[in-house]
Amino acid sequence: MRKIIQALIGLILITVISPIHVKAVDVVSINDLIENSKELDGQVITIQGEAIGESMNRGEYSWININDGTNAIGVWVKSDTADQIQYYGNYHEVGDTIEVTGTFYRACAAHGGEADFHADTFNIIKNGHLVSEHIDRHKIVLAIISSVFAFLLILVYQRQRKLSEISQENF
Amino acid sequence: MGTAKKIHNIEIISYYTGYIILIVASLMILPILTSLIFREWEPLLDFIIGGMISVITGLLLIMAGFRTKMDSSDFQWKHGFVIAALSWIVLTFLCAIPYRLSGHTKSLLDACFDVMSGFTTTGLALTQDLDHLSKGLNMWRHLLTFIGGQGMIVLALTFLTKGIGGAYKMYVGEGKDIELVPNIKDTARQIWKISMVYLLVGTLALWITGICIGLNPVSAFLHGLFIFEAAWSTGGFAPNSQNIMYYHSVVYETVSMVIFILGSFNFGLHYAIWQGKRSEIVKNIETQSFFITSFLACILALAGLSRMKVYPDAIAGFRRIIFNVLSAHTTTGFGTIYARQFALDWGDFGVLIMIIVMLIGGSACSTAGGFKGLRVGVVFKGLLMDIKKLLSSERSMKVYKYHYMKDRVLEDGMIKSSAIIICCYIITFTLGTLIGTFYGYSLTDSAFEAASVSGNVGLSIGVTTTSMPSVMKIYYIIAMYLGRLEFLSVFALFGYLFGGVKKTCVKLFRH
Repeated sequence: MRKIIQALIGLILITVISPIHVKAVDVVSINDLIENSKELDGQVITIQGEAIGESMNRGEYSWININDGTNAIGVWVKSDTADQIQYYGNYHEVGDTIEVTGTFYRACAAHGGEADFHADTFNIIKNGHLVSEHIDRHKIVLAIISSVFAFLLILVYQRQRKLSEISQENF
Repeated sequence: MGTAKKIHNIEIISYYTGYIILIVASLMILPILTSLIFREWEPLLDFIIGGMISVITGLLLIMAGFRTKMDSSDFQWKHGFVIAALSWIVLTFLCAIPYRLSGHTKSLLDACFDVMSGFTTTGLALTQDLDHLSKGLNMWRHLLTFIGGQGMIVLALTFLTKGIGGAYKMYVGEGKDIELVPNIKDTARQIWKISMVYLLVGTLALWITGICIGLNPVSAFLHGLFIFEAAWSTGGFAPNSQNIMYYHSVVYETVSMVIFILGSFNFGLHYAIWQGKRSEIVKNIETQSFFITSFLACILALAGLSRMKVYPDAIAGFRRIIFNVLSAHTTTGFGTIYARQFALDWGDFGVLIMIIVMLIGGSACSTAGGFKGLRVGVVFKGLLMDIKKLLSSERSMKVYKYHYMKDRVLEDGMIKSSAIIICCYIITFTLGTLIGTFYGYSLTDSAFEAASVSGNVGLSIGVTTTSMPSVMKIYYIIAMYLGRLEFLSVFALFGYLFGGVKKTCVKLFRH
């Protein structure tokens, strides 16, 4: 009997607790936010994307911009939270991928009617990294060949100019 | 005799086209230096390759027409127009090389689209992943739009060591006709002097603002420089995918707005003000036209959008509406709302207002596109003149005047030529709308995008994407090109090519 009760309690715990952990968070793409902005205005939503550019500190809060590949949006986040981001996407770096849950505003009254996102919770789900530049050998060869050819052509042009100046003087 | 003359025509065109290419190509040194400073090796190679191919092309053209160097007395109007139109086409291909090599464009067509968009100060972009673009390529994008705004021929004329007979003809061929000083070479230099002074002041203002809003000093400087170049040339490019929305700052938006409004004014007006003729701002037909149309457009947009309750309060409404309407009117194309928000939030009324102001555009002989305030003002005054003539006695002989740098008599010829150019813009816009609807885009979307390309604006409602049909991309390139050169040069180029082909065919038939 004791074992049955233990098994039942275990079963109840699994059914009650596990959905909280297992259930995937409904992530909305930024393009979908914009396309359905009237319906989603003021709602608590989760978005994911790469932090790009740099954070812009405005005191207690900061602006960070995130791009999920469909579009980019500004996220209004506490400055100490923004400081957790190590990499911001640019030519040399892939930015940290972050997941933000917060309120989406189609035309935020606090920020002059901008379509923005006010973060409540904020997680870095993938760390960014430096990008190692791959230099194409063909480009090096092409750069050398075109430079040599251009240099030779400049010499030919200079000679043509000198000859024409001499012929003009003789004339 | 005929053959000798034809060769001479080609030589003149070849020589000056090569010269212009060489001058513009030499500017690739700036992105090369940028790439070196920021250790961007791959873009560095892209610019070396692009630069060298451009130098080779320019030199070959100069050498082919070398006899022109000794004697350019035979320079005619047709040469000026053909050189202007041809150099823009050749440079579009050459300047697209670094774009294509960067891997940020999906095809050569997309790369050429972006270069033409930059040259014509339109600002529509098909370049992918802007947020990871190298600083070198960003420098090139914004430099192209800055050069395009002043004009590539204006740039080439600035470097002339001695005057040439055809300078004015080439200058007019590029859609500019104002003479600030009697010598056209000095006029070109004055235009650059004005732009460079504003470049220093504007970049400094944006740099300081950038630091104040939280950008790091180096990044703030580059953003300031890029945004200045795009704003002054009424181009609309920005270094990040969110355009001006990236900065989240009303101050940054305001400084940019002041710059693009100044950029949309005639260089003649800037020069007059520098000369102390401040009353020109009030008396000039173009500024009058701009203030009236922009005031009406802003009021109507504010009324229409507040009726639809698009924005939560007046401050938000003012900030979003005034910026975007003026950005459209000056043909800049900076946006503080998402492209799709025009269609989804602003509604048909808001979109219609935007289409009208995009077509009207800025001032003649400025960096702006569209019909131009001068033409709108002249046609409107011409209409008033005709009405007054109808109502007054047949015996009265009143002379009607308008003020454009000086008092001028309003003549039928001027009204007619202004109306013809306006008609050309409307035809380009209508064709663009037609093609858009043919490919399944809504009438509103097609019209908005067609107005944006015809007026060299750069705002998008979401039509301009890499997945857009190639026919539309090609048409948009042509529309941007026609709009910037104000039709005549392009017509001259096609007329010249058609005439050459016709002569060759006739000769072949005779043989």
